[in-house]
Amino acid sequence: MITLAIPSKGRLKEQALEVLAKAGLAVNLSGDERKYRARIEGAKNIEVAFLSASEIAGEIGQGAVDLGITGEDLLRESLADWETRAEIVARLGFGNADVVVAVPDIWLDVDSMADLDDVAADFRQRHGRRLRIATKYWRLAQQFFSQKHGIQVYRIVESLGATEGAPAAGLADVIVDITTTGSTLRANHLKVLGDGVVLRSQACLVASRKQRAAADEAVLRDIAAKMTALVR
Amino acid sequence: MTSRYPAIAADITSLFAARNTHAVEVAVLQPADPFLDMAGEDLRRRIFLTESETGKTLCLRPEFTIPVCLDHISSQAGTPRRYSYLGEVFRQRREGGNEFFQAGIEDLGDRDTAAADARSLADAHALLSLVLPGQALTITLGDQTIFEAVLAALGLPRGWRMRLARAFGSAAMLEAALADLANPPRNGQISGPVASLVLDGDLEGLSAHIAGGMEEAGLSASAGRSPADIARRLIEKAELRSVRLSNEAFSALKTFLAIDVPLDGAAQALEAFASGSGLSLGAALENFAARARAIEAHGLPVKKIRYDAAFGRPLDYYTGLVFEIAAENGDRPLAGGGRYDRLLTLLGAKTPIPGVGFSVWLDRIEALREKAP
Repeated sequence: MITLAIPSKGRLKEQALEVLAKAGLAVNLSGDERKYRARIEGAKNIEVAFLSASEIAGEIGQGAVDLGITGEDLLRESLADWETRAEIVARLGFGNADVVVAVPDIWLDVDSMADLDDVAADFRQRHGRRLRIATKYWRLAQQFFSQKHGIQVYRIVESLGATEGAPAAGLADVIVDITTTGSTLRANHLKVLGDGVVLRSQACLVASRKQRAAADEAVLRDIAAKMTALVR
Repeated sequence: MTSRYPAIAADITSLFAARNTHAVEVAVLQPADPFLDMAGEDLRRRIFLTESETGKTLCLRPEFTIPVCLDHISSQAGTPRRYSYLGEVFRQRREGGNEFFQAGIEDLGDRDTAAADARSLADAHALLSLVLPGQALTITLGDQTIFEAVLAALGLPRGWRMRLARAFGSAAMLEAALADLANPPRNGQISGPVASLVLDGDLEGLSAHIAGGMEEAGLSASAGRSPADIARRLIEKAELRSVRLSNEAFSALKTFLAIDVPLDGAAQALEAFASGSGLSLGAALENFAARARAIEAHGLPVKKIRYDAAFGRPLDYYTGLVFEIAAENGDRPLAGGGRYDRLLTLLGAKTPIPGVGFSVWLDRIEALREKAP
C-alpha cells in the first residue's frame, strides 16, 4: 500500500486533483468533501490522504507518506537536508510563486544583495542592533543570506502572517516572502532586489526516500511515470 | 569534579590557578540572543535552542567567551581581570559528539595589548604543552589591524574598506569583494529629480525627499534606516560608480595577502612590503613588532610560529590578533584565540573594555593523548 498526500483545501487541492485525473489517477471523492482519506478509482493499493501543504512536506521527511503534492518552497523550508529524505519526481506547472528578498522601495541606494550586505554591516554600527528580516522561511532566508551571499550581520524575526506589512509596522527592516505577481509587495511600497530571488517555487510531486517493499516501489514508480509523462 | 570531566581537567585548572586567573562558573542555560547577535543567524542551526515559559529564547551554552564577558559586565568587576573556565559546550555537529569540553582564559581590560596578546598565546601554548608533552605544535597568527592599516594606507574609500575588512579571513568572500571592486556591477541607475540631488551631493535636499517617501510608505524615520542613512549612502554609491580599484592597489593587496613567514621575520617582511608599495602602516606595524618581541620574551619558538597575512575570522567583533595552535600535521586546531576589543561594547559595556582570550578543544586533545604511545 502506497500513501499519496494531497493538499486538503484551496486552489492547490483543485489543481492537484485535476492533474492526477489527467494522468489517469482520478481520485474518488464520492460526495463527502470533508473526508480526510480517499481512493483512486481502479487502484486498490493507493491510499489518498488530505493534509495541509506544509504537513505534507513534514510527513514526507518522516517517511509517513510515500508520495505527496506540495510546494517546493515548503519542502526546502520544512526539511533540513531535504535531498537526503525526499526526491522531486516532477514539477507540476501550477502553484508558481517566487520566494524573494524585498526592501522598502524608498531605499533608493539598495538594488542588490551586495548593497544589502553593505547596509547590514553599516546598520549595526549606526543603530547598535542588527538589521531584521521578517520571514516565515527562516531556513531558506538563512541559507540565502549566510551561505550564498556571505551576509552574517542580520537577525531573522519569525513572521507567521502578513509579512509584507512588517517594515511599516516597525517589526522588521527587510522581508523574505512569497510573491506571484508582485502586486502585494508594490502595494506595501516594497521592491524585490535584482538578485534577490531565493527560489522559483511551484507545486511538485515529491517522493519520500525510504525503503519499501518491491511491490510498493513499483506502484510508486508507476504513479511517478504517469505524472512525469503528463508534465513533460 | 565529577567523572564526567576528562582526566586532564585537574591539571588544567591548577595551571589556570598558577597563572593568576579567576575560575568562573557559567550557567549551562543561556539567553540565545547575545550569541545570535554576535555570531550571526548562521549559528542558529548549530546550537540547541529552547524556550522558557515566558517566551524567552534560551540555548545550551555553545561557547564561553560571550557568557564570561556578560557576567563581567553585569558584576561591574574592576579591570584588568583574567577569567578562566573549563566545562561542557553544546553544539550540533555532523562529526563528533554534541557535547564536549572546552577550557580557556579571557583576559579583560589590560590596556597593554601587545603584552596581553603575547600572554594569551603563551598561556594557550603552556596548556597544550602540559597536557600533550612531547607533541610538536604549529602556531599560526593573523592580524586584522594590519589588514585594515593596509586598506587605509591604500587610500580606499570607506565603503570599500568596510567591505574588504568584513571579508577578511574568508578567501572566497575576499576574492568576490575584490572582483566586484575591480569591475563594479552596473545597477540602480537613478532618474528624475532624485538624480540631480544625488549628482549635486545635496545631502539635505535628498534626505528631505527620502523622508517624504518614507512618510508616504508609512515607514518610521527613526525605527530603522533613517532618511540621512539612505541619502548618504546613495551619494557615496554614485561617487564610487565611476571609480575602479586601481591595478596598483589590487596588486599591493594580493602581495600583502600572500605574506606567510616565520614570526621572527614578519615585522621586517611587512616593512619590506610597505616600502615596496610606497605605503606607511604606522602604529599598526609598531604594535605588531612590539607583540612579536613580547611573544619571544615568553620563550615561545618564534621561528616555528607562522604569520599568515590572510589569516583572520570574518566576525565583526575580532579586532586584532587571531591565532590557532594545532598538532604538527594535524588538520584541526587544538586551540583558537584572538583579540575582541569590540565585543564588550557590543554586549552592553558602558566604556570600551579591551579583551583577548583563547579556548582549547579538550575532546581533540584527549583523542591525541589516546593515540600517543
